[in-house]
Amino acid sequence: MSGYFKELFTGTKSLAVGMGVTIRAFFSPVVTMQYPYETPKIPERFRGHIELVADDEGKPKCVACGMCQRACPSGCITVKGKKREDGGKGKVVSFYRLDFTKCSLCGQCVESCKFDAITFSKEYNLASTRKEDFIYDLLKRLQEKNS
Amino acid sequence: MICDTVAQELEELIAAAAAEEEAAGGEAGAEAADEAVAGGGAEAGAQGEAAGEGEEAAAPPPGTPMLRRTEYRSTGYHVDATVAPAQVAEAAAILDRHQFFIETITGVDWPADRQMEVVYDFKHREELCRVVIRARVDRDDPRLPTISHVFPGANWHERETHDFFGIVFDGHPYLEPLLLPEDADFHPLRKDFSP
Amino acid sequence: MSVTVTDPNLETFVLNLGPQHPATHGVLRVKLVMDGEYIVSAEPVLGYIHRMQEKMGENRTYAQFLPNPPRLDYLSALSYNLGYVMAVERAAGIEVPERAEYIRVICTELNRVASHLLWHGAFILDLGGFTPLLYAFDDREQILDLLESVTGARLTYCYFRFGGVYNDVDDDFLAGAKAFVKRMRERLPMYHDLVTNNIILIKRLKDIGFISAEMCRKYGATGPVLRGSGVAYDVRKAEPYSVYSEFDFDIPSYPEGDSYARYRVRMDEIAESLRIIEQACDKIPDGPVRAKVPKTLKPPPGDYYHAVEAARGEFGVRIVSDGTTKAYRMKLRSPSYSNLSLFGEACEGMLLADALALMGSLDLVIPEIDR
Ligand code: SF4
Ligand code: SF4
Repeated sequence: MSGYFKELFTGTKSLAVGMGVTIRAFFSPVVTMQYPYETPKIPERFRGHIELVADDEGKPKCVACGMCQRACPSGCITVKGKKREDGGKGKVVSFYRLDFTKCSLCGQCVESCKFDAITFSKEYNLASTRKEDFIYDLLKRLQEKNS
Repeated sequence: MICDTVAQELEELIAAAAAEEEAAGGEAGAEAADEAVAGGGAEAGAQGEAAGEGEEAAAPPPGTPMLRRTEYRSTGYHVDATVAPAQVAEAAAILDRHQFFIETITGVDWPADRQMEVVYDFKHREELCRVVIRARVDRDDPRLPTISHVFPGANWHERETHDFFGIVFDGHPYLEPLLLPEDADFHPLRKDFSP
Repeated sequence: MSVTVTDPNLETFVLNLGPQHPATHGVLRVKLVMDGEYIVSAEPVLGYIHRMQEKMGENRTYAQFLPNPPRLDYLSALSYNLGYVMAVERAAGIEVPERAEYIRVICTELNRVASHLLWHGAFILDLGGFTPLLYAFDDREQILDLLESVTGARLTYCYFRFGGVYNDVDDDFLAGAKAFVKRMRERLPMYHDLVTNNIILIKRLKDIGFISAEMCRKYGATGPVLRGSGVAYDVRKAEPYSVYSEFDFDIPSYPEGDSYARYRVRMDEIAESLRIIEQACDKIPDGPVRAKVPKTLKPPPGDYYHAVEAARGEFGVRIVSDGTTKAYRMKLRSPSYSNLSLFGEACEGMLLADALALMGSLDLVIPEIDR
């Protein structure tokens, strides 16, 4: 019988203590961020989908060597190159397509590029009901960014 | 410590089976197997580490019952015992007696040898000792006894292995597809599988 | 208390729990044979999100398989990342610089705390208490922000690489990790006030859902499930990998074997992980974070195994190499698979509501079971 009352007492006390926590939380500062009105700072290393890096003149650094295409586990990248127009050695990229629907943001492509020609973007506001919206022409994207 | 005890008991089990086979049939194959056991045993006793890597020149055919002590640092386990398919339940019983727990069961397909390998992993909870039991079965008719009566946990692992490789565990209480759809008649982890 | 159904003439019926049920945390279905409110037998039905990860492991090069293991268990992804890289490192004989090992430990332990916090919230949610989830998410968010700042992702990290980590951490991260340890230490007593000592929770969990140490052994259950049955077995101590042997930490275990014991184990583990993080932040040496590793890995032929302690138990990777750039066979041993396999035996004769509490205390993550 005494055990019953003891449990009744400790049990009620535990509920009161728990209520105390709730009440304290009620008067503590709000931690929720009101998303569309305020946005968090995107960290430096955030991995959005990849994008091409431009050199000082605004031209893509990519030489279309195809290393990234081979490194990608899911075959997201299609890259094509053409001869340089100024007659110099090597190639320049003429086509760079990313199929973001299959990308797992693993970073293999960025790591495999010896020319630092691709990097992660900071895009995160991506939502669509159409698959085609996630197949990016990165070369066009870079040109748009430059202009 | 426990590793030594278990290795010895497993070795005795392998040797006993080889002797039995020789007494019963006296085939040439059994003799070769016996020799391999003796050789493997002596080597394991003399220099445990050296046995870890590199097969000797005159390696016995894959699947010959024998026991190797492997180097933990490079392989991740201590005892690697290949037993005859009929003996897996006895081998599991030895490990059960020594308070090992079952970690997983899986298969490996070796089409070149026309064999399939079933791999059982056991581990001891107090001492660091990992034991691998292997058995090779004929690829055209892969079947071997279940160990689910020794370790109930083997039930699901055997079902999974049956799903992926089509290996039949005789005496299994409920060998239905577990991870694959219930009407699946394909075995995706076989090397000749293509979707 | 458990009730055993013995009368064969009982009228029973079959109840399907799931595959869409909030308490199964994903697409798990359990076929229950019920006698009124009591369970006569239970059979989990798996495979709803089976992805054949092991076949993918055979068809991709070692580096290309990197993003897959973290996707098995999205709640403690870094443990899976770690288990896989360490298995490949063992196979290829790669030594990892010390600083990288410390970074790995800090990140993995942070991830473990995040995983346990989410479990804490979700478990209480299963039992019908909504608010603790919000407290847990507040703290978990701090960890996700920290990990995002180094790994670039919030959930499915792919940060560890063969021979080290993707990129070095800065002092801000270490300071942030230490600040989190301080904050979490202050918040832990609040969790105990709010939840652990709550009489309703105790009544729901104590002496319910008993799992014995012997049953764990027969089924191969590991992790908090095993430690809640009184066996202080943890891969980090039993088989020290990485630099875990350098730290001073305990393995919490409770002998009761009921759902409450498993609850307590996880809460204590949060405190122990905080200890590890604190020591690692203090002791982390300077130096490189990545060893020189050949571009295409070709481990020598052989059979390699490596296990790590994930948040749910022992995660093991078996690699059978034939000396090429792809694994001949890649076996992923996931802890929840074994932990769930004992559910059928453990819940026999229980009330349905108690069985759900037992299931919650197993901390299941379905993608990891189905693989
Ligand atoms: S992005 Fe880099 S790796 Fe890819 S094709 Fe261009 S230069 Fe080569
Ligand atoms: S991040 Fe990974 S998956 Fe995505 S494009 Fe690069 S290599 Fe492919």
